[in-house]
Amino acid sequence: MRIKKDMKLADVIQLNYMLIPVIHRFGINLGFGDKTVAEVCKDNEVDLNFFLQLVNAYHDKDYFPKEELQTIPVKNIVNYLKMTHASYLNDKLSEIDDKIISLQSEDMEDQRYILLIKNFFDGYKSELTEHILHEENVVFPYVLAVEEIIKTQSFTASNRAIFESFSIEKYEEEHNDVEEKLMDLKTIMIKYLTPPANSTLYHTIIQDLFKLEEDLNYHSRIEDKVLTPKVILMEKSISNLL
Amino acid sequence: MARSTILIAENSCIIRKGLRSILQNLENSEVIQLIDDKEDVCKIVTKSKPDILIINPNMLPGDCLDVKKELFATNKLSLVLISDKKNIEKELKADAYINYSDGQNAILDKLQEILNKKNKSVHADKSSETISSREKNILKHIALGLTNKEIADQLFISIHTVVTHRKNITQKLGIKSVSGLTVYAILHNLISMDEVK
Repeated sequence: MRIKKDMKLADVIQLNYMLIPVIHRFGINLGFGDKTVAEVCKDNEVDLNFFLQLVNAYHDKDYFPKEELQTIPVKNIVNYLKMTHASYLNDKLSEIDDKIISLQSEDMEDQRYILLIKNFFDGYKSELTEHILHEENVVFPYVLAVEEIIKTQSFTASNRAIFESFSIEKYEEEHNDVEEKLMDLKTIMIKYLTPPANSTLYHTIIQDLFKLEEDLNYHSRIEDKVLTPKVILMEKSISNLL
Repeated sequence: MARSTILIAENSCIIRKGLRSILQNLENSEVIQLIDDKEDVCKIVTKSKPDILIINPNMLPGDCLDVKKELFATNKLSLVLISDKKNIEKELKADAYINYSDGQNAILDKLQEILNKKNKSVHADKSSETISSREKNILKHIALGLTNKEIADQLFISIHTVVTHRKNITQKLGIKSVSGLTVYAILHNLISMDEVK
């Protein structure tokens, strides 16, 4: 179902609770009563169009806002993606990390197992961090430079250098198998490890991994379906400038 | 797990359809066809190869004591007889017997038992699903951090063979990444933790 501006935001959240962290990243807090999406956006000075594109892309994996793409400033998308990155790095990963560490004090058949999970998760964490840093240090500056060139319809020395150093095509190629490790970790914990006697914590970790995976999928959908196609369009019109 | 398929052959329409409706409560199974004509039984069973045949003895072709053997020797078919006669188990051999007077739970329990047995034997058959000793050896080398080329050289096989083994290992275990495979190898004592680089 398409999310529209005159729907109540509370109903939207009932529709898909995964949107709670999303609206939070926009600075929207829960407790908005019966206000519609449009009203809440106005109160919080959030661009309504951008908000709608984003929640719809989150909510429906087949949603593809082709025409609306043109109207969303890249800067907004990048800012939003940076906020999600920060929430992964500062909150989500360390939450799971903490739980794995407290797993070490549980009574387990073999303590080595927990060390294995810990090491594996650390490996995943550094891979994801590296991926995020690459986006922040290479991809986003490139995307912003592209937007600047379009806006000014001219090159400066610095944005020309950035423009020529990268292309969004490269990003599409690189943008894939970070999730592989996460899936493996889940598989190992489900299929091949015996949980400790007090299994609640162990179960919570698995559930957290599922949620993290889901959230990451949503996140990359924004990158793949909103950001990338927009940049491809802009690249094309720049090549006409050259 | 694949769904088990069930055929019902019974000449009473009420019982046929009633039984189908009861069996909808059975998990992982599906009634694929109802048969009301004795002449069709053999043909349909051969064609649709059900996992379970529920049949009224008077629908059975000919008089045979060991029905299963006679009729369905080639199929891995479980036979369930449904009838209003008492003591039918003394006359005909089958995997289970349903009496018209049985309650819903009794019927479901009997079929569930058959399904459980079937799934167990499927499980046993899937020894090929666990990794072979050859694959274990390859897995060990992967976990030690060797590249495909290095593994091929050490084991005197082609890279192509190594790649095929890797694909099979990944498929069987559901683990893709090298670090995931390494954890598996340690858990199953193929390598020790100290050997990991």
